Order: sequence, then structure tokens, then C-alpha cells
Amino acid sequence: MAELEVALIGAGGIARTHLPAWVALGARVRLYAPDGRAPALAQEFGATSVGSLPEAIAGAQVVDVCTPTDTHREITLSAVAAGAHVLCEKPLALNAAEAGEMADAAEEAGVKLYPGHVVRFFPAYARLRALVAGGGLGRVAVARFTRTGRYPTWSGWFADPARSGGILTDQMIHDMDIARWLFGDVVRVHARQQGHLTAPAPEGAVATGTAVLTHVGGTLTQIVGVWGPPATPFRTTFHVSGTGGTVQHDSQAHVDLRITGTSGDGPAEGIPAGDFGRSPYLTQIQEFAEAFTGGPEPRVSARDGEAAVRIAEAAAESARTGRAVEISAHPTAVATEGIGW
Amino acid sequence: MVRVAVLSFAHVHAATYIELLRDRDGIELVTADPDAPPDDPTRGRRLAERLGAAYAGTWDEVFALRPDAVVVTSENARHRHLVERAAATGAHVLCEKPLATTEADARAMIDACERAGVSLMTAYPVRFSPAFTALRSAFADGLLGALISVHGANNGSNPARSRPWFADPELAGGGALADHTVHIADLMDALLDGEQAAEVYAQANSILDDGGPVPDVDTAGLVTIRYPSGVVAAVDCSWSHPPDHPTWGGLAMTCVSEKAIVEFDAFPPLLGGFDSTTGRDRWEAGGADLDAAMLDEFLDSIRSGRRPSPDGEAGLRTLRIVLAAYESLRTGQPVALPDPLGVTSG
Repeated sequence: MAELEVALIGAGGIARTHLPAWVALGARVRLYAPDGRAPALAQEFGATSVGSLPEAIAGAQVVDVCTPTDTHREITLSAVAAGAHVLCEKPLALNAAEAGEMADAAEEAGVKLYPGHVVRFFPAYARLRALVAGGGLGRVAVARFTRTGRYPTWSGWFADPARSGGILTDQMIHDMDIARWLFGDVVRVHARQQGHLTAPAPEGAVATGTAVLTHVGGTLTQIVGVWGPPATPFRTTFHVSGTGGTVQHDSQAHVDLRITGTSGDGPAEGIPAGDFGRSPYLTQIQEFAEAFTGGPEPRVSARDGEAAVRIAEAAAESARTGRAVEISAHPTAVATEGIGW
Repeated sequence: MVRVAVLSFAHVHAATYIELLRDRDGIELVTADPDAPPDDPTRGRRLAERLGAAYAGTWDEVFALRPDAVVVTSENARHRHLVERAAATGAHVLCEKPLATTEADARAMIDACERAGVSLMTAYPVRFSPAFTALRSAFADGLLGALISVHGANNGSNPARSRPWFADPELAGGGALADHTVHIADLMDALLDGEQAAEVYAQANSILDDGGPVPDVDTAGLVTIRYPSGVVAAVDCSWSHPPDHPTWGGLAMTCVSEKAIVEFDAFPPLLGGFDSTTGRDRWEAGGADLDAAMLDEFLDSIRSGRRPSPDGEAGLRTLRIVLAAYESLRTGQPVALPDPLGVTSG
């Protein structure tokens, strides 16, 4: 692939997973982060650090937005205005209107915008999609997804609903997107969240969320998100039942390599590194990079990202009001390629 | 000697209770299933004979024996008349879950037993799991901090395959929501010390048709239960367990608390592997015999003259969750339960 000029914005946990992927693909990366962490990260991976957002965006073919969610819109719109393609970390935005505005702006500018719904690139979820799409489960009745990790106290903005949307939006949107990808659009959402739901979150805080999604074809999805105590290992599970049987996955059940007994186990890792196969972050970025350079469309679109935010927004409204929230067909939404019945 | 009567073999658990009671010292067992279809080999006198249990041909006959205790395993909507009659003859009652299909029936059963001075216990075996007892103690002792939320699944294969009344809304009170929400609801009742749920949201479908025509009842469902203390329980109550799987299903739940995440499996396999003769996974069931432990509690409460647990009120509290779940299906919205204290909860 031709050498891409990439501006990576942000130097936190996700930037640390994206940067080596870009480097592995031969991209030239200039890094900017307002918190001053860019130079160290850039040096670690042989990238360049620049001193301002405009300097980073100027001349970049691709802008990779790895900043807190409340800054996604502004940075994405700046990138689009400069004619750059954008990879924007999930959630695209804190509400569907902003996500839609970002998708519209990219369409109008003739550039591509892809949301970083990286779970679609994790092998177990990609295989699940293939299994469901191939009819291997027959007609799916009910699915459960759980996502458990330590409370993200390493960076203060996660705990702040005004910046991240909280656990429902920041964390559970992963499985909301997967559920819609698998089972089609969502027409009704009910959600609850409990535990420590405000910033600042002290070390040892715990929060959980539960959501029930009703899909257009009648399939039901339960999503559970856990931001657990500090030593909580990262773990995801799913269990899907259809007329053709069941399929289940537990990321901790069959690992390639398990090491125990070391002393002084510190807090668990917050961000999954995947298994010892190819990094899902690399698979994701390669698929996007090919699309940015004229290749086929990737497995996720800006409108998918917008739809995921709409589900999360409905979940947040449900948690706030205590009511189930209906999602009507949205004029800008394109039907998902999820399996409709 | 305690004379125990097992009343009706409509529920699949009847045979289990008969075998456990038959093999126990100090029990004089009698059974009755007069409403059974006469030609059904899995019911009535033929089942009693196969299990080696004494059999009475009519309700009058069995009640004339003045049992000390009865186990009611009729169809859910037919619990009430047997419980009332047992109470009237002075017998303590262990009633299969759900206690009834309406609040009025459950209330009448509780009142009848109260008036007669006999015990009413609801048949929730899972809370007798030693592992669950340990979990409950850990919470009670404050080792885990406050409970924040619970998510669990009680999936089984469709019981209407062997007992069609499970798919008859009149007799069963519903489908999977009625059959399988209550076990995890009872575990919550135990963990929360009888706190009545405040609100229930449910969604269900009948996609899992078990190979037949679209069933009359829900076969898959998700239920979200909120308690006044703020704890939320998210339950999958679906009959989604494949009928050709080596085991009937299972019950597992995860408790997220302030200090820990605790996973409980009520029916873990003892052994796995592969069975080449059937071409299926091997599954040797493990765990304690929960039905036996539940019968221990019932019989011990009779001998010692104390109130058994879970009692009829616990059965009513969990039934209310089922009734609210069905109302939620109708309205598409969460349904608030009446606050037993008359205080509006947040």
C-alpha cells in the first residue's frame, strides 16, 4: 500500500494500540496530543510528534481520532474540512445528532469516516457474525453479551458522563454495535446502570450497566457491562440461542497461554491486547487503510457508528427516565447488513 | 414416622420427589394422580408402580389418609385447590414453583395455611446449593461489600416436549417467563433478605418453536428486575437449551459487588469429554443434590415445628415478578410493583 500520511490525535491507551498498527502498515505518523504525552509515545514507535492540531492535520491523508469522546466531533470536522479521511474511535460522538453531523460532513466533503468499532475485528465476534449470517444458528431468539474489565480509573474522563457517556455509552456500545450487526436494527431499548456513575472515580470504584435490546425481527439481546474492582481481568462473553442451536464464547475460557503464580500481580490491564494471533487493531486499521486508498468498503461504516450511538443514547435516556425507549427508523440511517428475518 | 403425600404427577419434578422420599428413613410415602390421562404411562398408577410408591386412586382417598405433609406437583394453576384441601386436613405443604398463576390464588393459599396453622413452603431448590449458601454468607458477613447488580441465566429445554401443559397459558400461567424467571428471582430474594422487587421489565418471543408450530407461549425472554435498594438483576429465562444436549439446562449467575465479582453455577458438570456411543459431548452432572437438600429443609421444619424457608410469602414475592413481567410484555414498558410498605421508592 502507498505510504500513508497519518495524523494520530491523542496519546492515551487507544493511541498506543493504533500507532504500532499504522507503523506496521508502513504509514508515516505524526502525533499530537494536548496533554503533552505525544513526544514519548512518538519516540517509542518511531513516529513524529507535532505541537498543534492544525500542524498535525495539515497535509495528512488520514486523521485517526483517539481522544476523549466529547472532542471527537470537533477534531473530525476539522479533519474533514481539511480533506482528510478519518478513523474516529468509538463512540463516534455522545449523541446521534452529532454522529450524524460528522457522517454528513464526511459525505459532503467526499472523504471517508469510519468508527473504531474494533470488536467487529476480534476473531470470535467476526466468526459469530459469519455463523449467524450463514444460518448456522437458524433463527436467533435470544443473545447475551457481557464485557467486564477494571474500572477505567487510569484516565479521569471515562468516569465523567459528560465526556464519555459513562459505562452505557463508552463501554456497552461495543456490544450494542455487535448486536445490531448480527440481528438487525434495534427498535426498543431498556437500560439500567448502577454503582459509581460520576467523576471523579476513586480507585476501587465499581459500576455496572444492563441493557435489553429488541431487534426489528424480534430477536432479543441482553448486554451487561462491568467496570469492576482493580484486579478484575478483562473478559468478554457471549451466548446466542437460535432454532439451530447455541454458540458461546468466553475470552478467558480457552486462552493460548496462561501464566499464573507470579508474585506481585498488580492491577489488571484495562485494554484487551487480543490473543496471540494477529492484533484485531491491526486488522481493523489495515481494512480501513485499504478503503482510504481506494479499496473495498470495510465491515463498518459511519452510519453504523451513528446507529450505535443512537442505541446508546436511547439506553442512556432509558436509564435516566426509567422508561423503555423506542427507536424509530431514522431518515439518514441505512439498513444494517445485519441478518433481517 | 412422617406420612407424606405427593399430589399429582403433572410436574416433571414429581418423580424426583417420589424417589427421594421413597428412599428416606422415617417417611411413609403415598402418592395420587387422579387427574392424569388414564393411558399415559408417565402418569398415574403406572408411574407410581414403576417407582415403587403407594398410590391412592382419588383425592378423597389420599386426604382420608390424613398425611402429615404434602408435596403439590400439579399444573401451576391447579396448585390452589390441593393446597387448600391439604391445609384443611392439617397437612404441611411443599408447593412446586411458581406458587400459583395469580396473586389471588397465591394469597388464598398462604391464608389457608396460616389459618390452619400449617407450613407452606415454595419449592425453590437452588438456594439450598452449598455454594450459594457460602455466597449468601459472604454477603451477610460483609466480605464482598454491597451488591450492585446480578446477571444470570436459567436456561432449559422446553418442558412442554414431555408435559404439554407447560405451553398452555391457562395451566402454566405463561411460558419460559413464568417457568424460569422465578429461580433467579428466589436467589435474589435470599440475597436481599426478602426485599420485594420494585420494578420489572420484560421482553419475550416465541422464535424457538421446538420444531413444531408457533407455540402459544413465550419460549425465550429477558427480564430486568430492580429492587428498592438499587440492585438490578438481569435474567435470561429462555427455554433455549437444545433438547438433544446431554443435560437439561442450567442456572448460573454473576454477582457484581463493591469488592468482588462472584460467579455461581448451580449445576456445574463434574466430568466432561466426549461420548462416542452417542456422538455427543459427555456431561456428568456435578454439584449437590439440591432437591434432596430442599426436602431436608421441609421435613426438618415439620419435625422441629418451625417455619420453612422459602415460605409462601417468598413464593408470592417471586410470583409478583412474573406477573409484572407479563404486564410489561403487554405494555412494552417497565412495570412498578406495589410497595408492600406503602412507601414510594426511588
